[in-house]
Amino acid sequence: MNNYQLMITADDKQVVLERILQVTRYRGFLISGMNAKVNTGTNIGTIELLVRSERPIELLVDQINKLIDIKEVKVDNSAS
Amino acid sequence: MTTEKKLTGAGLLFNVLEQHGVEHVFGYPGGAIMPIYDALYDSKVEHFLCRHEQGAAFSAVGYARASGRIGVCFATSGPGATNLITGLADALADSIPVVAITGQVATAAMGSDAFQEIDIFGLSLACTKHSFQVTDINDLEKVLHQAFAIALEGRQGPVLVDIPKDIQITEVNRYLDELVNLKNKVKLPPANVGSAIALLNQAKQPILYVGGGVGMANAIDELRDFAKITGLPSVSTLKGLGAIDPEDENYLGMLGMHGTKAANIAVQECDLLIAVGARFDDRVTGKLNEFAPHAKVIHFDIDTAEINKRRIADASILGDLKVNLPALAIPLAITPWQAVCQEMDNNFAWDYNHPGESIFAPAVLNEISNKMPKNSCVTTDVGQHQMWAAQHMVFDDPSNFLTSAGMGTMGFGIPAAVGAQVSRPTDCIIAVSGDGSFMMNVQELSTIKRFQLPVKIVLIDNAKLGMVRQWQDLFFNGRLSETDLADNPDFIMLANAFDIKAKMITKKSQVSAAIEEMLEHDGPYLLQVKIDAQENVWPLVPPNTANDKMMESS
Repeated sequence: MNNYQLMITADDKQVVLERILQVTRYRGFLISGMNAKVNTGTNIGTIELLVRSERPIELLVDQINKLIDIKEVKVDNSAS
Repeated sequence: MTTEKKLTGAGLLFNVLEQHGVEHVFGYPGGAIMPIYDALYDSKVEHFLCRHEQGAAFSAVGYARASGRIGVCFATSGPGATNLITGLADALADSIPVVAITGQVATAAMGSDAFQEIDIFGLSLACTKHSFQVTDINDLEKVLHQAFAIALEGRQGPVLVDIPKDIQITEVNRYLDELVNLKNKVKLPPANVGSAIALLNQAKQPILYVGGGVGMANAIDELRDFAKITGLPSVSTLKGLGAIDPEDENYLGMLGMHGTKAANIAVQECDLLIAVGARFDDRVTGKLNEFAPHAKVIHFDIDTAEINKRRIADASILGDLKVNLPALAIPLAITPWQAVCQEMDNNFAWDYNHPGESIFAPAVLNEISNKMPKNSCVTTDVGQHQMWAAQHMVFDDPSNFLTSAGMGTMGFGIPAAVGAQVSRPTDCIIAVSGDGSFMMNVQELSTIKRFQLPVKIVLIDNAKLGMVRQWQDLFFNGRLSETDLADNPDFIMLANAFDIKAKMITKKSQVSAAIEEMLEHDGPYLLQVKIDAQENVWPLVPPNTANDKMMESS
């Protein structure tokens, strides 16, 4: 099981957090931790997501990136 | 003195639909969507009342697939909305642009377990490309434009817009003059054109593997030019059928679980696989780590997430196929390999000789294919008849073969044919169904009757859930479980109850005349074709098996 840390920036739109969590579960990643906040000035949310899986992290990054409200997904490789 | 009627949210919806060129919608009214159905009165949009919201969703899918236009469906809140879900899931799996509009209880009642309230917004997350719930009337116009843009942008798909009842009746001013243009948000990495050309030049035994993305990208001409210039032997997925010219001498037919022997062997022996708008689906690959084991891969797609998802690509070409295919169209020196493939194609051609008097479904479907008018559109349900149609009917365009490929949804065929016929009123629309699938959306015969749609239904009837029965016989020691449908209704009487002319045939000698009668009839027609319940679909690649280890008989 590999551990990964994702830094996601997203427009603060309806259910964006639910969408990220749904995709993460469906694509085979377990969530170890999460921290989310919104900059009310810019309406941009940042989500720090700690996940673990046997699957390559690129599979999850590509799928989260497809979500309409996502601006950027970065992987912090130091987490594993 | 007359008072000018103020624009409401419901009226605005139709203004936006008309702005996007929507002429036809499929739906079913109910409490929380009544203001929208009231505004329908004043709209130019033509509404087709289906008899179940699932039928409306599939009709919208069939409409989109047959015409290349966006499909639109309406449903009320609660059960109306949940009944759309299977159709939306089907559209997501096959990348079909559909906009679904659902009524919702008033915003003040939301979250109170109100009558016919369900969180369709939450339910939509797993079965749509994107979804919206409009809680501020000032957002409605922009959201509706976004819904259309998202459904069509990049890899197409279904979008749901949930509109509470109070939003539908609130007065609103239009404020957008321009349609919303979405910029492709995901920045595609540069195409590996140089690497791909090197791979093409090095290959001795390359195969072109064509998927449904070609038709969705409207890149059929570019694909056919690519195939012609390169001379590549080609195979197709279920959803890709019709993209390659069926007369192309290097075309080997469908690959995968029920693919042709020539296609599957050629793919297993190839040294380069050029996947175009295809996603290495498990029904295509069989045992994944033994699929095309000697091949390097060039993967063309519009969706970054498909690259390396199931098979690592040696070169990825992301972006518009209409641009990227011509960039790699170079002549290849592969004459010996072409000859090998053509010989396999000849040696493993279909055999329609069949002993006895009982009707052989592959021969019936092949004869219909040969006799149906040009530009006919065939829909199918799911099961044995679907695979026989894919194997034995010939299509010259993907928009002429509508089948639930990714989701494999029984009940797709009849409502999809309704949508196809609405979108192409002068073309012959033929729904090939099975007796199990037919009963899953049989209520849509009423839609056919209501609008006098001249849909032809070919009902392949073995009084079984045939594909499940085949698998129970082959892989579950013949322990037949819940697959007998001997108590089916009288299908002729059933069709007649909907004013649909119908005929049953049971012997080979009746086939030709019955097909001609059906095709010449100028209204809806149901042809019930009784077949032997023990007939199987061959070839068959057993589950978790390499594609060259196919079964050809039991």
